[in-house]
Amino acid sequence: MKRVLIPVVALTICFTVIWKWTLGFSAFTVFSYTLQQAGTLPRTFPDLAMISQDKEVFHLKDKHKYVLLNFVYLNCPYVCHKVNNQLERIYHLFDSATVPSRLEFVTVSFDLGNDDVTKIKKYREYFGTDIPGWTFALPYQTNQQAFDTFLHHIGIWKYTVPATGIINHSLYLYLIGPDNKIVRVFDPARENDNSVYEQINLCLQKQSI
Amino acid sequence: MPAKAINIILNLAVFVLAWVISFPMNEWFSATMPRHQLLQLPAMLLLGIIAGLRSLKHITISFPWDIAILIFIMASLVFWMLPRSIDAAVIYPAFNRVMHLNMLAAGFLGITVIRQTIFEIKIAFMAMVSVMVFVAGITLITFNILLCSSFNIDQQKETGFRLIIAGIVFATGTLFTFFRSLGKKI
Repeated sequence: MKRVLIPVVALTICFTVIWKWTLGFSAFTVFSYTLQQAGTLPRTFPDLAMISQDKEVFHLKDKHKYVLLNFVYLNCPYVCHKVNNQLERIYHLFDSATVPSRLEFVTVSFDLGNDDVTKIKKYREYFGTDIPGWTFALPYQTNQQAFDTFLHHIGIWKYTVPATGIINHSLYLYLIGPDNKIVRVFDPARENDNSVYEQINLCLQKQSI
Repeated sequence: MPAKAINIILNLAVFVLAWVISFPMNEWFSATMPRHQLLQLPAMLLLGIIAGLRSLKHITISFPWDIAILIFIMASLVFWMLPRSIDAAVIYPAFNRVMHLNMLAAGFLGITVIRQTIFEIKIAFMAMVSVMVFVAGITLITFNILLCSSFNIDQQKETGFRLIIAGIVFATGTLFTFFRSLGKKI
């Protein structure tokens, strides 16, 4: 009995440690772990004041429509712009009857030290001059610590590499419903434009019914 | 020089090297993914093996315990290859030192078990480690998204490529051990 028990106990302990560490073998990276730790969907989107490229202060909870939200920073060497290019393609899949009346796009910069309203306004112009319903924004009157806490609450992992200053972060796109609840989270690295489009459309159709 | 004195000197050297890797050099090792995964982690494992080679030479580990130790070593390697563990180790030096202690212990106990255990278990264990290292390399190469937030995609690919090579080298070593041991048996 002892011959079997000792290896079984060892296996059980090791299995349990890895099971707990990966939230039941479902979160192997800090990105997926932070997202899962934030809670199950749908969940309330925490309030945050933001300022748009036109210097208008707004809260997502006051929009009362679907919002597709993502986070970037302008000094990102590569991936943020790639995600915004994907967002641009998704934006153009919707017709003017949907955006901006029923759905809005919001891109928020989380580099409070370097990005400002002038920079995000200029950055927005790279995606065209006629893009109503796609707001580029910054957190308004929020310090870095409070903003980091906010990001953690919604499930975004952000880490600044000390040597380079590069901010590595989650790329998720959040679909927030008219009732200010996060209803879907898309991973742009795994989901293509049409898949995101169809899932948003499904939510919009449900709302119509 | 008496064996006891050699043991003391060897263990002291291992201790000093482990301290240097874990403390003064930790920042350098944590700067890139290849350094962290391909130098620091194996270095600690190797130091554990060196310490175990002489220290536990005359100690016998009984059958159920050797399996338990091999399970512990496999689980330790899996745990420290998880992207979340790598991130935590790089961001929090104290957590990284847990990895160092874990690897030292794995090497220290592992070499004793490997020397004593039966041929079949030894080969099965070595084959599993080879496959694990190889698969970890394939995973890092295949994913075009950043898995560890502390590093960049180029370092991730480089680590993956070198892990694949390490896996192949380890598999070759396993085959060599297999045929050599088989030859001795025949």
